Amino acid sequence: MAVSNRTHVSIIADILDTAKTYTFEGQKGVTVTHLIRKANVPHSRLSGIVSELTSRGLLHEIPEESVKYRISEKGLEFLKAYNQFKGFAEGFGLRV
Amino acid sequence: MEIELAINLIGLVISILIGRFAYVGYTVVASPNLLRLTLAFVSISVGFVLLAASLFDPENRIIATSGLAAQAVGYFFIAVSHGLKSSFDFAPRPSGTFLIIPLAVAPLVIPGNSIEHIIRSISFILLVYVSIETMASYMQAMRSSTLMIGSGIGALAVAELVAWYDFIYPGSFFFAALIIKVAGFGLMFIPFSKFGLSGLGRMNQLGG
Repeated sequence: MAVSNRTHVSIIADILDTAKTYTFEGQKGVTVTHLIRKANVPHSRLSGIVSELTSRGLLHEIPEESVKYRISEKGLEFLKAYNQFKGFAEGFGLRV
Repeated sequence: MEIELAINLIGLVISILIGRFAYVGYTVVASPNLLRLTLAFVSISVGFVLLAASLFDPENRIIATSGLAAQAVGYFFIAVSHGLKSSFDFAPRPSGTFLIIPLAVAPLVIPGNSIEHIIRSISFILLVYVSIETMASYMQAMRSSTLMIGSGIGALAVAELVAWYDFIYPGSFFFAALIIKVAGFGLMFIPFSKFGLSGLGRMNQLGG
């Protein structure tokens, strides 16, 4: 049986994709709890990735009663580029 | 010679474009598979340069043989990517070493009396392996781009086989092999061309 090993970059793409959904559907952003559920990674790992993405300007932090995150313009560009390169690698039957 | 040079240059341009796209992809998403594809197409491009250079000195077979060897190295990098994928998917152990078996066996099972002959045999085996793996991926995902690239790699394998007959019947199959080879790269380029090249610079800024 094939085992699907997610790469670090695919987890980042899942996080950004979730943030994108919660940014453009009339919502104020995504909470860490939602990210954990959608990206399917433990809290300790997710916190590190989200901090990295925020410091690199791919996610914006919105301080409210509970911290929420929105995808930035740079994050959208990264997601678009990721999907293109994913398609390119899959063309060769490979994964990014 | 002019036709041969032109065909080699077309192959060179296509492989440089694919290699550049793979490299930008590697800088943006840091994927090891994209790095391997970059190395593969750099090797293939170097091979085309050497093959084109050998046309200016037809007596010196070392340049042409080096070109074929560089391209075989390129095919090896693509095969390694598939080998690693298969080893992770179906047998979680360092079975990438199995790739060495066709390399070791090729000179023994395929009669040959020159280095060029052996290199072509190795290239053929690697390309058949990569083509089968790519087609297997197509059967899973049914993506038309995978079908195109798998067919392109298959055409490269056919080109190596046809070029091989040129050793037996010198001069008869050489151009046919070269045209099939560039057609193979062309097939690989069709799905790639839809990704476009205009956004490469902008994507490159996302890297790091």
